[in-house]
Amino acid sequence: MFTTQRTLRILSLTAAAALATTLAACSSDDDATSSSSDGASAGGKTLTTLNIWDPYPQYDDSSDWATYVQSCAPSGVTVKRTSAATADLLNNLTTAVKAGNAPDVILLDNPAVPDAASAGLLAPADEVGIDTSGFNANLAGPGTVDGTTYGVPIGANTLGLYYNEDILKDAGVDPASITSWDTLNAALEKVTKAGHKGITFSGIAGEEGVFQFQPWFWGAGADLKDIGSDQAVAAGQLVSDWIGKGYAPKSAATDNQSASWDLFLTGDYAFAENGSWFAQAAAKLTDFKAVAMALPGKDGGAAPVPTGGEFVLAPLQKDDADAHYANAKQVISCLVGAENQVKTAGMLGYFAANKDERAKQIAADPVWAPWASAIEAAQGRTSELGADYTAASAQLSTALQGALNAAGDSAKVKDAFTQAAQS
Amino acid sequence: MTLVGIQTPAPVPTADAAVAAAAGRPEPQRRRRRVQPTTWAGLAFAAPLLVYLVVFYAYPLYENVSMSLHRYTRATYVTGEAPFVGLDIYREVIGSSQFWTIVWQTTVFVVASLLFQYSFGLGLAVFFRRAFPLSAVLRGLFLVPWLLPIIVSATTWQWMMDADSGIINRFLGVFGIDPVWWLSADHSLTAVIIANIWLGIPFNLVILYSGLQNIPTEMYEAASLDGAGAWRQFWSITFPLLKPVSAITLLLGFVYTLKVVDIIWIMTQGTGRSQTLATWAYAMAFGKGTSATIKYSEASAVGSILLLVALVMGIVYLVVQRRQED
Repeated sequence: MFTTQRTLRILSLTAAAALATTLAACSSDDDATSSSSDGASAGGKTLTTLNIWDPYPQYDDSSDWATYVQSCAPSGVTVKRTSAATADLLNNLTTAVKAGNAPDVILLDNPAVPDAASAGLLAPADEVGIDTSGFNANLAGPGTVDGTTYGVPIGANTLGLYYNEDILKDAGVDPASITSWDTLNAALEKVTKAGHKGITFSGIAGEEGVFQFQPWFWGAGADLKDIGSDQAVAAGQLVSDWIGKGYAPKSAATDNQSASWDLFLTGDYAFAENGSWFAQAAAKLTDFKAVAMALPGKDGGAAPVPTGGEFVLAPLQKDDADAHYANAKQVISCLVGAENQVKTAGMLGYFAANKDERAKQIAADPVWAPWASAIEAAQGRTSELGADYTAASAQLSTALQGALNAAGDSAKVKDAFTQAAQS
Repeated sequence: MTLVGIQTPAPVPTADAAVAAAAGRPEPQRRRRRVQPTTWAGLAFAAPLLVYLVVFYAYPLYENVSMSLHRYTRATYVTGEAPFVGLDIYREVIGSSQFWTIVWQTTVFVVASLLFQYSFGLGLAVFFRRAFPLSAVLRGLFLVPWLLPIIVSATTWQWMMDADSGIINRFLGVFGIDPVWWLSADHSLTAVIIANIWLGIPFNLVILYSGLQNIPTEMYEAASLDGAGAWRQFWSITFPLLKPVSAITLLLGFVYTLKVVDIIWIMTQGTGRSQTLATWAYAMAFGKGTSATIKYSEASAVGSILLLVALVMGIVYLVVQRRQED
């Protein structure tokens, strides 16, 4: 009995010691790495691993995009690519910068750039050595916050109206006649009477829904600085009526753009408001013929559309900053240098952000023809409001959700926008 | 020699004391070591548990409360600056227009879920008390909601509740009922309550069933000899004797339901009436839902309020239990 007790005691004390050592080791891990980095001088060191973060988890390691990114690696450097959903990328970057292990290059959705810049997460483009010349002002706008430029667009995309040619023929609707909200509503009425479904779009809570709502919002003449204006309410009434009259599915209030595209692919819907990144896929459809056109403004003409697409940026580095920035500069110029822009954009289904390169891209492939004028006129979402855009977007999202749930009730739609403007 | 227990052995009268007692003088002060060796051994065994509790419970709790007393923004993570603002954050949160609505919605969610989960769980437990062929298989099938990953169940419920093409509306249509927009802002609370009830029934079933096993069958035999029907037997025997088990089931269910985020988030993202304190804290902490602005301080304040509610319920349970024992 003595031996068993002694053994038990030794085992327990060993376990306690092991636990304490593990905890100590975990906490001192950070100290170990920082002390080794402090030892090396920032000047002459070159790093052999380069971390790049992008919001394309749909492209895994075997995809063309992954291979393309690897090909941009500077000599002697291995590129490690990590993907995360776009909504999580900014949070991941925040914790990484705090921990001192931020990636060398990050591709961040353009409306998140002012937030990241004002939180001190990004290094200015001059410090890193990124070439910011040659990009269109409307597309590069979101990259400049309070006079400092932090990065450049990897490419641009925007929204348009896809239609199912077969359904429109069957219902006797001429797509060329759709030039305003009234003509669009008339077309929707005709196709639903012919036994088809109307239009799919995404009204999900958050930035994605706001992105899809902006062509209607701006098309009515509303301004992000005044969410409660009559024009804003009119735009809300438009989409609300679609739900109420059954032209659009009720799931639009919770669908994202991918889900609303899937609904269009079933072939039941006549119209789909979706992005230029689906243009090439749409051209290859065999079940029915899908054609793209510009979204109509309220009283005629094309609606102003928001710019989508990510910015390529270099996060702030605590240790070995010069070495990190040197690597970042090389990869970024490889990705978005004038000669490579069309190739990079083509990988992602985006437009090149440089005017001349884009003209070449559009001329080379007829699928881009309907989008040419839209992308020239597209507006950056954060260009006017900068870091205040996030709050305005939140208000607009709340108003949009209220309008969609009102399903046509005009008193409720007005209420939703008025309340959201005050929040 | 004993390992268990830190009791020091009763003082053995020494020769000194015996002599003193015999001589009528007061006993000299005993020289006793402050801490016995067995006490140190006991502390050493408790040390791993104490360390674990401090690191994984006390420290996060302290951080949470501390976060709710400082103004945190995204920049704080980089610069480390978070000015101390005292109870301002709590005032802002409690004074915001949504707070009391969300508290009411949380109350409805928790009470409705618990009520129906418990009733259905109890009904099923009583049903299964008498074994019949295939009763074990059927009981196993009833555990499926508990075993499925929440992402699967929540996505399936969302799909079933689709307003235009969901199977629930199709089923209601068979009886001539108009399709209901389950996931709209007004009905979203009902929708998530239904899904949550379905999720919680197995837990109640399992615990109440095992509680029923402890009721001796002789009591039922005696009652039926006295002429009591099934309903009377249930209210006079089953329900009172299940009170301790019911109390613990309801407490565990309450604490769990109070903080549930996943089922609501996947189904409706906390839009409309389905916003509870837990989903509100989650959305504010990570910039999800309608707003991408991170509000760590406000989220911590809501989290602390939730903790307080759960603590109060725990104390209520202890009081009830003590009264039962008396």
